[in-house]
Amino acid sequence: MKLNTKLTLFNTISKLVIVVFFVLLLPLLINYISLGYTDGKLVEQKDKVLQIVKTLGIGNYITDGESYGSYTLLKEEYISLDEVPADEYLDTIMNERRIVEGDTIEYRILSHTFKADKKNYLLEVGKSVSTLDDTTGPLQKIAFLVLVGMILLTILADQVYSNYVLRPLRQIIKTRLNSSRFPYTDSYNKVRTSTVDFQYLDISIHRMMETITNKFQKEREFISNASHELMTPISILQTKIENMFVEEDIADELKVRLLEMQRILNRLKSITKTLLLISQIENEQFIKQDEVNLSEMLHDVQDEISIRLEQKDVALTIEVPADIVLHKVNKFLLFNLFFNLVNNAIKYNIAGGSINITARKNISGLILNIADTGIGIGEDELPFIFDRFKKLKRALQQESFGLGLPIVKSIADFHGIVIEVTSEKGRGSTFSLIIPDEILK
Amino acid sequence: MNVLIIEDERSLAREVDIFLTNNNYVCEVAYNGRSASEKISVNLYDFILIDLGLPDYDGLDLLKEAKRNNPEAACIILTARAEVNDRITGLDLGADDYVPKPFSLLELQSRMQAITRRKFGLKQNTVTLGDFLINLTERTISHEGNVINTITKKEFDLIAYMLLHKNRTLTRTQLSEHIWGSVVNDDYDSNYIDAHIKNIRKKLNAFASPNWLETVRGLGYKIVVNS
Repeated sequence: MKLNTKLTLFNTISKLVIVVFFVLLLPLLINYISLGYTDGKLVEQKDKVLQIVKTLGIGNYITDGESYGSYTLLKEEYISLDEVPADEYLDTIMNERRIVEGDTIEYRILSHTFKADKKNYLLEVGKSVSTLDDTTGPLQKIAFLVLVGMILLTILADQVYSNYVLRPLRQIIKTRLNSSRFPYTDSYNKVRTSTVDFQYLDISIHRMMETITNKFQKEREFISNASHELMTPISILQTKIENMFVEEDIADELKVRLLEMQRILNRLKSITKTLLLISQIENEQFIKQDEVNLSEMLHDVQDEISIRLEQKDVALTIEVPADIVLHKVNKFLLFNLFFNLVNNAIKYNIAGGSINITARKNISGLILNIADTGIGIGEDELPFIFDRFKKLKRALQQESFGLGLPIVKSIADFHGIVIEVTSEKGRGSTFSLIIPDEILK
Repeated sequence: MNVLIIEDERSLAREVDIFLTNNNYVCEVAYNGRSASEKISVNLYDFILIDLGLPDYDGLDLLKEAKRNNPEAACIILTARAEVNDRITGLDLGADDYVPKPFSLLELQSRMQAITRRKFGLKQNTVTLGDFLINLTERTISHEGNVINTITKKEFDLIAYMLLHKNRTLTRTQLSEHIWGSVVNDDYDSNYIDAHIKNIRKKLNAFASPNWLETVRGLGYKIVVNS
């Protein structure tokens, strides 16, 4: 998931949690505010009544011990005055029911006792609870809508802002990591941003890539130079052994030992030659100007390798249309690529097994599958098969130094061919070469 | 035939010298570009073997001098730096062949013989081996006038190479180096040479015994020609 999406998602969820919490609390809050307001009003009314009683006297309302009562037309509010026993004392505000003209109505009632003319009176000021509810409902609704609106606005603002603020990060990923071709040779163009962290990240990635490129170039140079330097001493040893070998006075026993030396030297020579080939391919020292008929080349490989097929009793079938021609390629290298792939398919095959080479068109180019019925590659080994000198279990079982597939990979990369490998232990492997349209004629 | 070996690695120059001398070539050695340049301007050679990586001289300049002063000489470039551009430049400048180091002396001799056949018109196109007649130009083996068409290209390559080095034991390494020279692969020990020889014997035996193709126990194979 993108960082931007993650941030927006977090903001949205956190806001939603707050809103839900607030919405759940809203009725309680509004009730609390509304009650406080009503209670305040009731106290104000009580004070007003007491003030009137003080100035006009209680007789203005109550004469001969009768009660006083008054209510509004819709019975939303009422007020009453009663004489009560002298020992009764009340000063409360609570919800209670009262019967007014036969209707039972719940009121918020302020009850207050006071003395006037040496008698004890109870004043009740009430406000119907249903009128309170009438105001809290719309209030809750409006509060909820305003909240939702504000949240949507802030999510939008978050999205726009994070998009804006993260743009340099996307640019760093795109220019420094995704589209830059390795080895990194482009000149350094600073990513424009005012965010210090991104500036730091940009320069750090640039420096890291420079270091890796330097190391990479050094490794290439080293392999190339070392292989070159090894050629002359190998030549000297080889010629010495060959000359000793033809000397007549050398005993057969010694010749066998010379032969062993020759064999070891040959192994050293093969490794050096292979490394040199890989380094020459990677340093782009080959010219891609040849035109090759794919089917013909595969049949040439078959001819070349027929003795190995015969030895292991492996059948090779080539089902590739005769009209597929590759151009802008290097014939020598392509031959080596196919030779090594087919050789591998033989080497890791079972006696009496088979190899099937097929081709099919695809949107991205031509897919050439080389499928064998061999021992297969374990899942743990699959990611490393193209690594140089990575000694895999299956290579150890064969007389191989594990450079066949690195050669294949270097040649494929050089031609822009993608290799995909699927394999199942004991069931065989399929190497798929995706040959791009650019080299298909 | 006169050969000038231009090679700054004394050990290597010495081994090439010994080998070619044993094979009836007359050799001179130059260990640096200056002395090579002197020799080229004074003497005439049939072959000039030039190492491109000389410390004091550009091997390609020596090649130009050789072509100017010794136009009849066949020039073979020997080098560890077998890069494509060098190879193209060398051949463009008139080199007759290009042998990348490390090379086998037998391979070098084969190439020199091929050049000799091509350049000096010394044709030894047909050789009789027992009941078989081998035509090196047409690359055929025939028995009583009938061409044996079961012999493959690789099998003929092997026979021709052994024939070129007749009466000499060739090891499996030497044989495989010759027939698989251009392919770079990572097998270092295969017995496919034995399989090839077995096939050749089987195919020829259908006509007559190829008793001239001998196995040298523990060492390799050779073609024996009694002349």
